[in-house]
Amino acid sequence: MSALELAQAVFDGLLFGATYAVIGIGFTLIFGVMHKINMAYAAASLAGAYAALLILLFVQAPALVVFLLAGVAGGVIGLVIYVCCFRFMPLAAPLAPLMATIGMLMLIDEIIVHATEGMPLPYPALFDNVMLQLGEFTLRGDLLLVFGVSIACMALMLLLLYRTRLGLATRAVAQQPVAAQLCGVRLTRVNALTFLLTGLFGGIAGAMIGASVGTLSPLLILPVTIKGLIVTVIGGLGSIPGAIVAGLLVGACENLFQFLRGVTERDIYVMLLLFVFLVFRPGGIFAPGRGRD
Amino acid sequence: MSAALLQLDGVSRRFGGVRAVDAVDLTVAQGEILGLIGPNGSGKSTIVNLVCGLFPLSGGRVRFEGRDLAAQPPHRRVAAGIARTFQSIRLFGQLTVWQNLWVAQSPPAKRSVAVFAARWLGGHRKAREAIREALEFAGLAGQRDQLAGSLSFGEQRRLELARALAARPKLLLLDEPAAGMNATEIAELDERIRRVREGGITVVLIEHHMELVMSVTDRIAVLNFGRKIAEGSPGEIQAHHEVREAYLGAGGEP
Amino acid sequence: MDFYFGLAQTLGVHTLLGLSVYIVLLTGQLTLAQAGFAAIGAYVAGMLTVIAGWHIVPALAAGSLATSLVACAVAFPALRVRGLMLAVATIAFGEAVRLFFFNFDYQVWKGDIQVGPLGGEGFRQIRFFPENGWSTLEVMLFVWACVALVMAALWWTDRSRAGAVLRAVGEDEVAAQSVGVNLTAVKVSAMTASGAIAGLGGGLYAHYTTHIEHANFTLGLATFAIAYPILGGLSSVFGTLAAVVFIQGFLVEGLRFLGDWRNLLFGALIVLAMNLRPRGLLDAATAARLKRLLTGPGGAP
Repeated sequence: MSALELAQAVFDGLLFGATYAVIGIGFTLIFGVMHKINMAYAAASLAGAYAALLILLFVQAPALVVFLLAGVAGGVIGLVIYVCCFRFMPLAAPLAPLMATIGMLMLIDEIIVHATEGMPLPYPALFDNVMLQLGEFTLRGDLLLVFGVSIACMALMLLLLYRTRLGLATRAVAQQPVAAQLCGVRLTRVNALTFLLTGLFGGIAGAMIGASVGTLSPLLILPVTIKGLIVTVIGGLGSIPGAIVAGLLVGACENLFQFLRGVTERDIYVMLLLFVFLVFRPGGIFAPGRGRD
Repeated sequence: MSAALLQLDGVSRRFGGVRAVDAVDLTVAQGEILGLIGPNGSGKSTIVNLVCGLFPLSGGRVRFEGRDLAAQPPHRRVAAGIARTFQSIRLFGQLTVWQNLWVAQSPPAKRSVAVFAARWLGGHRKAREAIREALEFAGLAGQRDQLAGSLSFGEQRRLELARALAARPKLLLLDEPAAGMNATEIAELDERIRRVREGGITVVLIEHHMELVMSVTDRIAVLNFGRKIAEGSPGEIQAHHEVREAYLGAGGEP
Repeated sequence: MDFYFGLAQTLGVHTLLGLSVYIVLLTGQLTLAQAGFAAIGAYVAGMLTVIAGWHIVPALAAGSLATSLVACAVAFPALRVRGLMLAVATIAFGEAVRLFFFNFDYQVWKGDIQVGPLGGEGFRQIRFFPENGWSTLEVMLFVWACVALVMAALWWTDRSRAGAVLRAVGEDEVAAQSVGVNLTAVKVSAMTASGAIAGLGGGLYAHYTTHIEHANFTLGLATFAIAYPILGGLSSVFGTLAAVVFIQGFLVEGLRFLGDWRNLLFGALIVLAMNLRPRGLLDAATAARLKRLLTGPGGAP
């Protein structure tokens, strides 16, 4: 075990962690706008990736097309989740949407298991046999692509949030929902669009996860959900920069733990990482104001 | 004269760049009714929150019965004898009237197994008596099993006051208790505040309703933009030049 | 007949898990740690009867106690964060516990076979009940005696000041603090009690199934556990019981004929149920109506 191997593990993990960052942003954005968690978000993202595979039944589509389709599918699924779990819920029953999204998570999981009969499916990847050498360091081509695409997604999300009217409306709703409505912002429209857009980017992230692992399996759903939530919590609920940093951090640590202690014990340490953060920085990395519920 | 029950020395509270409370010195003597007035945003509610421990101080000290309250959490300050009501009613709407008062029972002064056991077995009776007294005082004896959220506005205000008193405090901070009340209710409130003081409790009254303030308080302190700009008897304050400038004219309108 | 006794045992354990969430939910916190707590209770109680040869009752008590200690320890850092972050922390805890037992080996010789937890293979041969001649009926009654005990304790708590304090914290923390309630103490106590109850449930489960493994204690189990009090409403412990009977009894068993499609239906049904009855099956209004029905038109207390 040399310093180089350690650094390699951390670096590879960092690249993969960008996908966690996108998922974390999705969770945190929905929380910021609606003050509720969409437990089915990671499942929806992976479902989007799965759905994109359908096109391969008909045509020999290039990988990029599959990735984009995953985004589209993710967006549609996100919208469905919004309608089924949030649109008609009274404000005074905070637990109901949570429970509904958990139900949705179970439903999506089961649909995937049924559709694929529980077998993992191979996922198209790009640049998977490209290896760049930087001295003693290896840069995996596929991971670099994953990283690049995820960064692009994040950049687009930030662009939408901070440079468009929709983004402005979203941020307004996140800070003062009543006042925003009084200013003419249509709450349901903003919420629906938030779900659509986070679903879109989530679907692409799901495709990225499939591309870097090489296969998609329903067994991924739960771990990705949990890690996405951990990223959201470590980054601070509602904080996008936090989710980005936390995603990279969790990705790096996860790979590091795997390198040091193997796959079976890896996740225990990721959980411990969460607890360390809870004890020392309960508000998240960039605590956004006071620790609101 | 009476000893100082509550003392604020140079108390400050900043939210980012905003100085909600700016180096305020205030002394509340035992057994008096002190009025705290000032335009909206002058820092009155913030001072209550600081004294009760809901926010940390940005500067200065708060002393209660001579002891520095330092970083004591809110529930310890209640145990020490400070109680408050809220500007917007914060009752436990899903609990009954009785339960609201029950929750507010003060914890025992000394902790030991014997005290704990006594509270469970016999202490129950003492708690019941205290609650019954509070119910009588609030005029809600017949509604003990009603959900707090289903009471009328006036009844809720009375319950809020009774709940604060249920903890047998030494100091009671009332945050705009007259908001939304009509003239009859305010007259009743006036009477109730006097009875509280007769029971040996020191009162700090934050209010906008000038008639009530002038009628019931012994002394008044005036805040504006987080600073204290005047302090004195009701008559002195009414005539005070700066106070008039700052905001008088609120009269008795809600 | 044995089948129904077995079903009743399952209902009993699930009720305990639901109740372990109920008490924390009252304080307004969401916990998904039950699966982890149940696992701890199961393994500890199992190891005590199998390896140390204890009788079931002290083993269950010890398992419950051990779990409550862990719950207390976990509560302190976890309760520094609120609401949804706490939910995530408890999810992570549950998964960590499951992974721990996935890697946990402790074998001893008993006669000519080895017994004890064996990592991924699980913990087999937890045979206290069969070895001591308990019939399925007796086991079921024992399980439900434990459930009745816990329900009675919680019902009594609901009527005491402790119950009012728990609900006050759940309703408005600032107001509760301002009338002298020690928030941390209340929340940690609720979590500790939750651990004790879930640990008891886990211990019972280990003994009537005789074989436990990490895969029994997943997030899915924790999800069912929170579904019960949410579906059942927080007005009364009986709501949770009703929800357990409904979900496990009607849905799980009654829809068994659907085979694999059953699981698909769960998720959809939960989504539907939450849209139709967001306050739960037995919310305050329904509970009040039931009460009036049962006590009659003149039945004022």
